[in-house]
Amino acid sequence: MRMFVLLLGLLFPLAVAAGEGPAIAKQDWGFDGLHGQYDKATVYRGYQVFTQVCMACHSAKYVSHADLDRAGFTPEEIAALAKSMNLTTTDKLVSGLAPADAQEVYGKVPPDLSVITKARAGLADYTYAVLTGYSDDVEALAHAFPNSEVPAGAYFNTAFAGYAIAMPNPLPNADMVTYTDGTPATVPQMAHDVTVFLQWAAEPELIERKHLGVYVLLFLAIFTLLAYLTKKAIWRDVH
Amino acid sequence: MASLKPKAVEQNITRNPLKWFDDRLPLVSLINNSVGRNFPAPKNLNYMWNFGSLAGIALVIQILTGLFLAMHYKADVALAFDSVQHIMRNVQWGWLIRNLHMVGASFFFIVVYVHMARGLYYGSYKSPREVLWGIGVIIFLIMMATAFMGYVLPWGQMSYWGATVITNLLSVIPFVGDEVVVWIWGGYSVGDPTLTRFYALHFLLPFVIVGIVILHIWALHEHKSNNPTGLDLQDEKDFIPFHPYYTVKDIFGLGVYLIAFALMVFYAPDYLGHTDNYIPANPLVTPAHIVPEWYFLPFYAILRAIPIKELGVVAMFGSILILFVLPWLDSSRVRSARYRPLYRSLYWVFLLNFLVLGWVGSKPPEGIYVLIARFATAYYFLFFALLPVVARVEKTRKLPKTIDEA
Ligand code: HEC
Ligand code: HEM
Repeated sequence: MRMFVLLLGLLFPLAVAAGEGPAIAKQDWGFDGLHGQYDKATVYRGYQVFTQVCMACHSAKYVSHADLDRAGFTPEEIAALAKSMNLTTTDKLVSGLAPADAQEVYGKVPPDLSVITKARAGLADYTYAVLTGYSDDVEALAHAFPNSEVPAGAYFNTAFAGYAIAMPNPLPNADMVTYTDGTPATVPQMAHDVTVFLQWAAEPELIERKHLGVYVLLFLAIFTLLAYLTKKAIWRDVH
Repeated sequence: MASLKPKAVEQNITRNPLKWFDDRLPLVSLINNSVGRNFPAPKNLNYMWNFGSLAGIALVIQILTGLFLAMHYKADVALAFDSVQHIMRNVQWGWLIRNLHMVGASFFFIVVYVHMARGLYYGSYKSPREVLWGIGVIIFLIMMATAFMGYVLPWGQMSYWGATVITNLLSVIPFVGDEVVVWIWGGYSVGDPTLTRFYALHFLLPFVIVGIVILHIWALHEHKSNNPTGLDLQDEKDFIPFHPYYTVKDIFGLGVYLIAFALMVFYAPDYLGHTDNYIPANPLVTPAHIVPEWYFLPFYAILRAIPIKELGVVAMFGSILILFVLPWLDSSRVRSARYRPLYRSLYWVFLLNFLVLGWVGSKPPEGIYVLIARFATAYYFLFFALLPVVARVEKTRKLPKTIDEA
């Protein structure tokens, strides 16, 4: 009996297949953990980066402005933001770059980013790592490509599998966007903010999920405790 | 022939409506006889015996959540991935329903694996429960088919490529293999016809499982539960009524289960899944490593351990089918591993070995992993091959006379 429990405990870690490819550094995210949240100001800064930089090439075809109410935006804010992009609040965030054109220019179609943080091993950490993974460090480059050069039309990136990514560094220097809340738009800051935005885009339900989970678990804890006490009472006369 | 003489039938519906009804359709009696006061259960069952009822509940959870998913899911290659996102984002409580179904499938397998490991340890497959055990193996097989086809439905990269790899295995069938595969696909590759039929079957099979579960319980009732001592129980005082004793124990077990389940559903719904399945299916891009869901990994490892494809497929199916003949392979008269020192050691190695198979199944089939997979596969079958010998040479411990003595 005890052995069974032990083995069951072993099952879980075994279930995760270890990822291969470059090591991805872990970051601290506000949405992690039991009380994970999306900070509205961060989501908004990330939204600025996404719409002003990434959307030149990438879409988020499952996401519209109306969804921002789940990150705490008011209807007025949502209407104003959509209007400033000449979109209705239910229009999806679709890039103007046609896939065929992208293929021609970059040799790759930029993937839709709606669920990107769930679609790569390393999750949000991976997106952040790609955005901050561009480097012109000669040693790192020589290490990644000992006998060759970065293939034409690709860029050296320490996080990308194969180290050569078709995406030109989208955040090459600070102040790609002007944050309205006065936060200095450094490269790590922009990468962090847009990753939070993309995590929100991938899992807008996260706040509700983690919030509801607390109540469900509380209920179940009480239920189980009562069931246990009842069980003990009923079984008292056996043995 | 049974007596046709009328029983004392309640005539007055208002005096005792329940008895009135039961005299006409003995539904209450059926429940009472199946999981109620009239079903005698050994009094010494430990918590390993909770997993049968848990499996039943896991099945009900899959059917209920599946039904609500089916109201919003679209089985069309152009729409499937989008419709799952639609469920996650726009359907009221859609994310909850899908997480319950997704994590529910994994938990269903955990429960059933424990349930089977329990049977293997306490010799529950032995006479007179061979048919009960065999029905269980059938349930396990249909469950695997159901889960496999369910995993295809979200139409992500792993859905598509998993389906391609696994259906392709049928091409090893002599003479007609390639035709069979084309027939199953409904075309020359996994595509829209495949998705649609998998959806139809994925909807149907759980109800087939329900039917077979009823047979499973029927067979259980014929000889009652086995127990940790493995002794045949005859004495009245060894039994207690299922209700209230085991109903309350099962409810407590359910509480513990639901806590673990809720932790996953609310805090790590994708933990047991594969990130590639959030990339829409793309027939032109093969994922670096195609891996099935975790609960198939041990069998996947057996498949890949053998360099000859045909043999690998036979070994993979054989590794499950061999369970059917287990009652005849293990001819020891003693059921419980408690009294079988040799079997007991082999058993724990077998379980650990099974976990090793699962782990190596998630690794690329190269280098040291191939070697590990081969040794583990060999032991998997060796275990079964040794059972007749073990039964002969093993010196079993002295059996207690009664369970109170144990
Ligand atoms: C100039 C066009 C362009 C811009 C602007 C751009 N990207 Fe990309 N992006 C691409 C292309 C092309 C790819 C495909 C790369 C490949 O597969 O080699 C890509 C791929 C990606 C990937 C996936 C990498 C992988 O593992 O497959 C992520 C994540 C990503 N971009 C994030 C962003 C973010 C965030 C921004 C905004 C800060 C952004 N991109 C801006 C063109 C662009
Ligand atoms: C034996 C019971 C069942 C098992 C083991 C099972 C397993 C699965 C699995 C593994 C998936 C893929 C989950 C994902 O990654 O999204 C899935 C999807 C699905 N299942 Fe089931 N299922 C069962 C019963 C049912 C039933 C009874 C129905 C319908 C009445 C159903 C309807 C669906 C639908 C519509 C999907 C696609 C939506 C989605 O992928 O989330 N399932 N199932």
